[in-house]
Amino acid sequence: MTSSDLEIVVEDPTAPEADSPSVVDTRTIEIAVSLLLLALAVVLGYDNWRTGIAWDSTGPQPGYFPFYLSVILGGASLYGLVTTLVAHGAAAETFVSRAQLRRVLLVFVPTALFCLAMQYLGIYVASFVLIAGFMRLVGKIALWKSLLTAFLFTAIMFVTFDLAFDVIMPKGPLEAAFGY
Amino acid sequence: MKQMGKVLGGFVMGLAFAATSATAMAWEPTKPVEIVVAAGAGGASDQMARMMQAAIQKNNLMKQPMVVSLKGGASGAEALMYMKSSDGDPNKVLIAYSLIYMLPLSAKIPFNWRDLTPVAVVAMDQFVLWDNAGGPKTVKEFIAAAKAASSPLKMGGTGSKREDHVLTVFMEKKTGAKFSYLPYKSGGEAATQLVGNHTEANVNNPSENLEVWRAGQVRALCVFDKERISYTTKVTETQSWNDIPTCKEEGIDVQYLMLRAMFLPGKVTPEQQAFYVDLFQKVTQTPEYKDYMEKQALKPVFLKGPEMLKFLGEDDALNRSLMTEAGFVAN
Amino acid sequence: MEAFGLLLHGFAVLMTWKILLLMMVGLVLGIFVGVLPGLGGPNGVAILLPLTFAMDPTSAIVMLSCIYWGALFGGAITSILFNIPGEAWSVATTFDGYPMAQQGKAAEALTAAFTSSFIGSLVAVLLITFLSPTISSFALKFGPPEFFAVYLLTFCSFVGLGREAKHKTVISMALGLLIAGVGMDTVSGTLRMTFGSTDLLRGINFLVAVIGLFGISEILLTMEERLALRGHAAKISLRVVLSVWKDLPKYWATLLRSSFIGCWLGITPGGAIAASFMGYNLAKRFSKDPESFGKGRIEGVFAPETAAHASGTAALLPMLALGIPGSGTAAILLGGLMVWGLNPGPLLFVEHKDFVWGLIASMYLGNVVGLVLVLTTVPIFASILRVPFAAVAPMIVVSCAIGAYAIQNAMFDIWLMLGFGVAGYVFKKIGIPLAPFTLALVLGSRAEDAFRLAMIGSGGSVGIFWSNGLVGAITTLAITLLFWPVIDKVFTGIGQVLRPARAQIIGPVKVSRVPRQSSTE
Repeated sequence: MTSSDLEIVVEDPTAPEADSPSVVDTRTIEIAVSLLLLALAVVLGYDNWRTGIAWDSTGPQPGYFPFYLSVILGGASLYGLVTTLVAHGAAAETFVSRAQLRRVLLVFVPTALFCLAMQYLGIYVASFVLIAGFMRLVGKIALWKSLLTAFLFTAIMFVTFDLAFDVIMPKGPLEAAFGY
Repeated sequence: MKQMGKVLGGFVMGLAFAATSATAMAWEPTKPVEIVVAAGAGGASDQMARMMQAAIQKNNLMKQPMVVSLKGGASGAEALMYMKSSDGDPNKVLIAYSLIYMLPLSAKIPFNWRDLTPVAVVAMDQFVLWDNAGGPKTVKEFIAAAKAASSPLKMGGTGSKREDHVLTVFMEKKTGAKFSYLPYKSGGEAATQLVGNHTEANVNNPSENLEVWRAGQVRALCVFDKERISYTTKVTETQSWNDIPTCKEEGIDVQYLMLRAMFLPGKVTPEQQAFYVDLFQKVTQTPEYKDYMEKQALKPVFLKGPEMLKFLGEDDALNRSLMTEAGFVAN
Repeated sequence: MEAFGLLLHGFAVLMTWKILLLMMVGLVLGIFVGVLPGLGGPNGVAILLPLTFAMDPTSAIVMLSCIYWGALFGGAITSILFNIPGEAWSVATTFDGYPMAQQGKAAEALTAAFTSSFIGSLVAVLLITFLSPTISSFALKFGPPEFFAVYLLTFCSFVGLGREAKHKTVISMALGLLIAGVGMDTVSGTLRMTFGSTDLLRGINFLVAVIGLFGISEILLTMEERLALRGHAAKISLRVVLSVWKDLPKYWATLLRSSFIGCWLGITPGGAIAASFMGYNLAKRFSKDPESFGKGRIEGVFAPETAAHASGTAALLPMLALGIPGSGTAAILLGGLMVWGLNPGPLLFVEHKDFVWGLIASMYLGNVVGLVLVLTTVPIFASILRVPFAAVAPMIVVSCAIGAYAIQNAMFDIWLMLGFGVAGYVFKKIGIPLAPFTLALVLGSRAEDAFRLAMIGSGGSVGIFWSNGLVGAITTLAITLLFWPVIDKVFTGIGQVLRPARAQIIGPVKVSRVPRQSSTE
């Protein structure tokens, strides 16, 4: 790295095709989110109404604040919903294209599986599997590199949290076998 | 190799030890022990947990380290539910206070202290009536001022429908004066708000108001106990804890003491329970513990076994009747 | 000279090997997260927060704030070498920084960026040092009504001054406040919005939400966009550093102006992004040769960096003094303070002197050490970008999970984190700003409690918010800010009637390429 015009090029191995078809447009998502928020506002509003939204001798009851917040949330979502519906003349903007969605799922699915695995295997084993698996299968990195990186990272985490800082992490059968 | 030798040595010693005192050393923790605090960081329970951690470590009372784990969420309910869900796990010990009776009543939390394994009562905490240093000088003047005020005097405290709130309600009942109770998140906040004159009084534990009392910013009016606090060393320039009169002496017949006790989760073996009873008994004999008791003006008490159960039963009944009378039991 | 004595005391607190070591570790970690695409100040601090749980508060905050300084420095590296602003406030730095790198003057640009960051922070720290002592005498005046008025001011200024669609800001804020209300209500001791779930009993932790919203969603977004970096390498030599420093006095006006703008926008919740653009635009406007901006002019690096860092640092003052975070990272630091049982607010200066002055002293030390560190290690950190994303991504996911779990030792929080990750991804894509959400989440329950305690005290009369000069002024200001867009329109209308030919003083900011908001400002 001596000359200053050397270029570092980092290419993503899963680079997309340039014009991937749109899966869903932004408008649809905006409508869906508005509806979801509206539903949430109704559910929370009802629960708070049940808790009590009046004023008693000691100021507002516990449900007072959140109830009116639910109303505000509902109102703003409704406003968003209506403006989105009215403005249907606007060109449909892509929310996510097929190639993009594929890549997002490529990282989301392993993350979700990792969260699930953590419940049974403990955090360290799950981390090892996630890092090694992701590097090997998604990144197409050599197996030994993937395993070594995953092992080192997990080991460092274990030493830092469990040994050095006494932060207790979820553990599974493997750690139990070693007496932790 | 050196490490190996140490481990082996330890093992051999352990074996020898186990052979000689098989009864006393029947069980001991193999993992770090979590000491669960049902309050936020820096509160009285947290400080006590850290004192115990230090006392155990310094005096080598246990081989495994002790980790303080703060579970103050939902006014401490988090800690209770956490203990309840850890049945049979001997590596968690709860440092409990009167919350264990009150919270299930006021917030309908599915918890009963009988689900846990009692270990020992390690101290009792006092409550003191405080007012601002610029306010009335005696209890009588204070009550008179409260009755004369056009809008009710503001009484600060920690949390809602808990010890501080109950005490306020009982003061109202005994004296006929009216207070509006302001629930703060911590005793520290209640203390500084009293100093800033945003409230007229509070019913903090001695430890919570210690610093501002020493600084001469608040005045201790009376202590809610049958007898005065025993410590006679001067804390402020002129007063010791013992100089504070009891509320009964001053004409308000209200008493309340709060327990500080250790619990294990349910379904642990008697050997495991015995280990911890022994451990905490040793803790109460350390200089760290004694020093802490005096600094925080706690009442040193140690109860275990059937004695403790009897006490818990009575204390539970007392708290239940107080809560019911104050109208704090959720329906 | 009370401040000076207290500051010396602060340095005394810091001068232990342990704390100095933690500072170095924090700075290195900070630069690391600042350089990594998809991370940055707030995300990095949120993820690394659990590391500090077992430390005492002073060591913890020193390490965290060093992570923050490190991230601020690190952000400049990617902006200049790769034209990728690591943080939204580094956008303006790319305007002239990247062209300089293209012309082979990367080293000069980096030196300029680091030096001006340092100057900006230093000015802001000086300001904090001399304002802090007055704050503590002010402290005891704050009761529930005053606290509520201050929170109201923060919320209102976000709605009134934010650039996003108003209804989206409102949605974000209301949602944050609602989520903050889940769990037990301190004032009445009853449970709310838990629907009988024991996991929701303890409420939804602010930090878990932040880790999901920023950490996980950033990974999703980074993965979605193709990551192809094309950058320039740089090596900084002492000769370059000295030659840049020699020219510094020439730019004193720019540096001073930007520092001032930064401090002002940092204390009022304007944020570092606005500060960096404003600093850049004003430098251009006052320059004799505005045409040369955007083509690799060193002043174009000085101006935004100084302003951004002055603002980022000054944002810590309202956080410590009033409990109001001036920036996203400050909000996370605030969450951390509460984990350690410290209640930010005026009383912090009375109750925890050691802590406050230790932190302020660490700002000085952290910046000096940070400057030396970045100047010497640029090539190493730039090469981090060559680590394949496929290796970095799962490590970030693991760090997020560890962070989310460690806060409350709850498995449920892992799922919450994942949920917030998806929500953050969708929200960012449809333009619902996350900053008001974060702010509402961290201040929500405090604001509500303050309001209700004020009401109990006043017997239900809203008049208490105008009961004295202090609280009245703050409340009035808050309401003015809420309706600012309306008021502004009215005034502009009147102005146009009176002087129809008046020209606009500052033109709109032209941004050719606005990156995704990776910070919460």
